[in-house]
Amino acid sequence: MQEAAQAACPPLVVSHRENNTQRVAALCERAEALGLGHGMGIAEARAMHPGIEVVEADPVADRRLLESLADWCDRYTPLVALDGDDGLFLDITGCAHLFGGEKALLDDILLRLADQGFDARGAIASTPGAAWALAHLASPALIASGEETQALAPLPLAALRLPPQIRAALQGVGLRSVGQLIGAPRAPLARRFGKELLMRLDQALGAIEEAVSPRLPVAPLSVERMLAEPIVTVEAVEALLLPLAASLKGDLERRGEGARLIQLTLFRVDGEVRRFRVGTSRPMRSPDQVVRLLHEKLTAGAEELDSGYGFELIRLSALETARFEAEQTDLAGEGEAEEASLAFLADRVAARLGAQALCRPRPVESHIPERAVAMVSFAAMPAVAAPAPQPAVDAIRPLRLLPHAEPIEVFATEVPEGPPLNFRWRRLVHRVAGAEGPERIAPEWWREPADAPTRDYFRVEDEDGRRYWIYREGLYQAGKPMPRWYMQGIFA
Amino acid sequence: MAKVATARETLLSLRHEIARIEGRLAETLAEPGETASGSMILRRNGRIAEDTLATGADGLDAALGGGVPLAALTEIHAFQTRDAAAASGLALALGALLLRLREKPLLWIGTAEMFREAGFPYAPGLAQGFGIAADRLLVSQAPKLSDALWVAEEAARFPALSAVIVELRGNPRLLDLTATRRLHRRAQEAGRPVFLLRAGAQAEPTAAPVRLVAAPARAAKRRTLLGALDGSIGPPAFRVTVAKSRHSMPAEFTLEWNADERAFHERRSLREHAPDSGAVAALSADRPDQAQAARPVVALRGAA
Repeated sequence: MQEAAQAACPPLVVSHRENNTQRVAALCERAEALGLGHGMGIAEARAMHPGIEVVEADPVADRRLLESLADWCDRYTPLVALDGDDGLFLDITGCAHLFGGEKALLDDILLRLADQGFDARGAIASTPGAAWALAHLASPALIASGEETQALAPLPLAALRLPPQIRAALQGVGLRSVGQLIGAPRAPLARRFGKELLMRLDQALGAIEEAVSPRLPVAPLSVERMLAEPIVTVEAVEALLLPLAASLKGDLERRGEGARLIQLTLFRVDGEVRRFRVGTSRPMRSPDQVVRLLHEKLTAGAEELDSGYGFELIRLSALETARFEAEQTDLAGEGEAEEASLAFLADRVAARLGAQALCRPRPVESHIPERAVAMVSFAAMPAVAAPAPQPAVDAIRPLRLLPHAEPIEVFATEVPEGPPLNFRWRRLVHRVAGAEGPERIAPEWWREPADAPTRDYFRVEDEDGRRYWIYREGLYQAGKPMPRWYMQGIFA
Repeated sequence: MAKVATARETLLSLRHEIARIEGRLAETLAEPGETASGSMILRRNGRIAEDTLATGADGLDAALGGGVPLAALTEIHAFQTRDAAAASGLALALGALLLRLREKPLLWIGTAEMFREAGFPYAPGLAQGFGIAADRLLVSQAPKLSDALWVAEEAARFPALSAVIVELRGNPRLLDLTATRRLHRRAQEAGRPVFLLRAGAQAEPTAAPVRLVAAPARAAKRRTLLGALDGSIGPPAFRVTVAKSRHSMPAEFTLEWNADERAFHERRSLREHAPDSGAVAALSADRPDQAQAARPVVALRGAA
């Protein structure tokens, strides 16, 4: 995968560090023509041709590029897998007819990649191994099922994805082509060169199955629309969404399911792929609701939808589905519809502001006030909630709890263990007019270190009638540091 | 005679027009000089709907024309951010009263800034102090003011909630007369109140028919069989000022919220309210210094 060098630029060499020297990792055609090669020292190459341009290899960027290419290949099939540093496997089972047959599909991919400036090789075969061999050594090639032996026989051993030491060992005994391996007796080969050799050979010839694991989960249902003319605006995208969602609804109805996670994929003309995901708290089918949820997602971002030169392919997929319970309403038709409308509100809020934007408190069995309640997103709550654990103590608790207990300055307390007479919180001095307490809450020994300080909580009221919940962490003890005071909550 | 009839006709049509604007029945409009009272019945979505939520505090209810409007935007102000607990306590007490009418969740919307400053809603406290169970509460924390307003406007139109509480700080430009009008309109259509809590805000033109100002008030002492318990903090109290109402001049009330009965009590005068413990001078809650109250009275104030 090398980018075609521009004629005006000097020959390009990519260097990487290997055994403490800079060596050539990749090079352009013109550099190759100068007699440079892989693995040559950079110093040597510079000495031979001072005019070459040397850049440092950036494996992370290479990986990113390969992944964006894999994204782009999503248009051909949802099953795209990365292969090493420079290859992609596309499982086109059942996809080729959409592009006019296998030959047309291969030509289309190679042509479009060439247009983008990539020097790509490709092949179609019925096993990943054979396709890999042909793509690397005989591109472009297209062989039918059963022709693997014939097609691979003349190829050198490099066609078999073998580690270099096995390859060198095979060459050492005079085996130089795949054909020679096919003809050789298997048992001695396995004994001498290991199981991997035979496995690779069988994979290439289709004797054993090889699974290609796709890099992205495959959506159970997808509908897409290829556009002759790219579209740019959000409104145009949304106009296309409704028919797509309607056809998705048909598919979902046939399966008796509703979508729980919906993804909109926009393929830009220049190869960039944008994905938008929205989750639903109840299985959903209605096209209107799907479109409105996606509308929130598309318009929520602070930045405009970057459409570049426009989108040429729009795909709507249901990534997760669940059984769709047909709703039966009573004659008054109240409860169900309201619950559903609340779920839809939660979904829209989640699509726009994130799943945590609309939460429900769930009591947790803990005495520590800040742990006694957990906020769970609406979608995570089951429709019929299990009875929540009841709070263990029926003590008085504040209306609002500060996100973090804030340290307060206490000047004097009534008695050493008593409530403060006054305190400073957020730079204001509050004079305590009344106080109740203490309520002692011990640390959870199974969670915290053994010597964690206990907390003594006080309800205090200042002179204006504001009621606060403050606590002292630790005790007044000789030889110990002074306990600290915190403000944790505010009462109504 | 004909002249009188025409005048009456004009008056009637004007009254209908006013009722239409205010979203009420013309018959409930009071005659000039007559106090607005009596039951109001409105039909909403084919069902009879109460127009107001009686708080149970008679003075406040009279000042609001029967109670807090049920299908409207109501503003509750707090002068300072640290008084937000009083404003939210008032709103939640009203929410608790509403929950008795309809068992639907309550949605509390706030900006992240507001929740950071004034505290996050604490479910155990809500359950204990207001009888609002955890599964009856939804909390939406919006990163920005515009997001909070968006959620509020979306939620205001859903009848599946018993009340929407929106909590904001200061006088943001986004929250202008038009924004309050939108909230008010949607609350009217959904037939459900929207409480707009505003901490540290100046009074601005608003579409809300009622604006209350909530401030904290000293709580009375806990009452036991033996009289008031020294050094205790009784049920929460609020000082509520009716700053805008169609039915009265600005008025101030001190309310006490009884969590067990789920009811408001009006504290008319502190002296009258404090129970007489018998022997010594009455221990009244308005005197912060308790030692002073226990001292024998040497001379009356007027004589000194």
